[in-house]
Amino acid sequence: MNETIIEARHLVKHYKELNALDNVNLSLTANRIYGLLGRNGAGKTTLMSILTAQAFATSGEALVFGASAYENDAVLSRICFIRESQKYPEDFHPQHAFRSAALFYKNWDQDFADRLAEDFQLPLKRRIKKLSRGQLSAVGVIIGLASRAELTFFDEPYLGLDAVARQLFYDRLVEDYAEHPRTIILSSHLIDEVANLLEHVVVIDRGRIIMDADAEEIRGSAVTVSGSAEKVDTFLAGRKILHRETLGSLASVTVDEALGSRDRAEAQELGLELSPVSLQQLVVRKTMAGPGATGAASKTNDFADDTLEARR
Amino acid sequence: MSRTVAVARMQLINKWTYIGWPLTILAASFLMSIAIFALIPVTEGKNGGGSQAPLWYFLVLGIQSMTLVFPFSQGLSISRRAFYLGTLGLFSLIALGMTALYLIGGVIEKATTGWGVYGYFFNIPWVTEGPWYSTAAFFFVVMMFMFIVGFWFATIFKRWGTTGTLISTLGTGLVLIGLAALATLAEWWGYVGNWFAQQSPLSISGWTALLCVVLAAGSYATLRRATP
Repeated sequence: MNETIIEARHLVKHYKELNALDNVNLSLTANRIYGLLGRNGAGKTTLMSILTAQAFATSGEALVFGASAYENDAVLSRICFIRESQKYPEDFHPQHAFRSAALFYKNWDQDFADRLAEDFQLPLKRRIKKLSRGQLSAVGVIIGLASRAELTFFDEPYLGLDAVARQLFYDRLVEDYAEHPRTIILSSHLIDEVANLLEHVVVIDRGRIIMDADAEEIRGSAVTVSGSAEKVDTFLAGRKILHRETLGSLASVTVDEALGSRDRAEAQELGLELSPVSLQQLVVRKTMAGPGATGAASKTNDFADDTLEARR
Repeated sequence: MSRTVAVARMQLINKWTYIGWPLTILAASFLMSIAIFALIPVTEGKNGGGSQAPLWYFLVLGIQSMTLVFPFSQGLSISRRAFYLGTLGLFSLIALGMTALYLIGGVIEKATTGWGVYGYFFNIPWVTEGPWYSTAAFFFVVMMFMFIVGFWFATIFKRWGTTGTLISTLGTGLVLIGLAALATLAEWWGYVGNWFAQQSPLSISGWTALLCVVLAAGSYATLRRATP
């Protein structure tokens, strides 16, 4: 049942001036919802493009359903990957795009596509060129959902969608996934919004995988300790610190490890407050603590801006 | 195989692109040509270049199928081979249909002495003067040529960007100028002229078909490594 569906070995994608992928190894099993998280330009789209043979790796191997997808109809017919900047034929309306998808996906559900179009208030008979950014995203989301491909990629599917439409997408995805289990890979930088959907999280930064773990595992894996700076530092001496913030004599420190019950009791005695770290915070902290980020103050600021922007 | 056929069917979902627009362009150009022929008070045969109008649209179709339909086909996880064969197959079908229309138009045109106004739209001096199959071959090959040239340039553009397109366009120009210069220096123009004088519409179709095959093979080689 849970066979390996994606296997990436030593994937490298080298562009002129940067390594878009830098020795990526990944093994994903079937019928789960994965989050592929990372900053803009971290390598998410590049990785998905190579897995689906839309782009080519400089070196390394990418196997999907046990084989390379390149020119392999047996593999390709089970994959759907509508990219964030997907192009459509010149005169196409959304209904034409859906009828095209129906030609290629044996599990295509037209009723589902129609219902989704209604949900997203997508005009079916308008040229795709004339659609707004949100409506364009809706076309891609509908193809991705209604195709019911065994392996479906969503590439930042929410761009331009309002809060209601985004919630609709998350709801429909979970409902349909429950009825028709398949493998979903959701690439996103809106981590808080999708955190609850994800069963497994892969974080990529500067072309490297920096986190690859089950969501459950991650939830308790870090903790923020706050209280008087002196006590916090004593308590956390020798632990792996991800982030430290001070305000006057108070400190709030995030550690990259779980605390046992004895530690927790001790913290309580010291009057320290323990709070869970959200997935988004954890990803942000880990990314900022990563190699190349040290000493680059401007870069960290960029990231703060990015996350802010994404949440707007 | 079925996915190849589906690629052709997909591009016919919107009937305008491959059927509606070519017919509209042909009809509009035909009616305008006839109106102009009717205005010229001459009872000798009049010829115009209006019948080439749809050809320029085919060039655009060739370009768009690579710049827009190819990326879409990739989104639906269609192999490059299925996309190429399906699109080229569709090109051929459309060119075949248009050729049939041109032939029928030519027959009616002759029967009505140029639509009653001595105007010849489908009959072109030299080109349509041979047997019907030579006319058919000429129209078909020229239409395919326009598609394939558009497709080929767009594959170059997709693969190597603006620089690649510029280099290949300028390069082609330079080679042609070089050949012309060589012909002038070596005083070959007489032979060249003779060679062309000896060609029939059928043999020109043959040479053009050969060029089409080379360009089509070239596009496939480029497309194999193209990314959307």
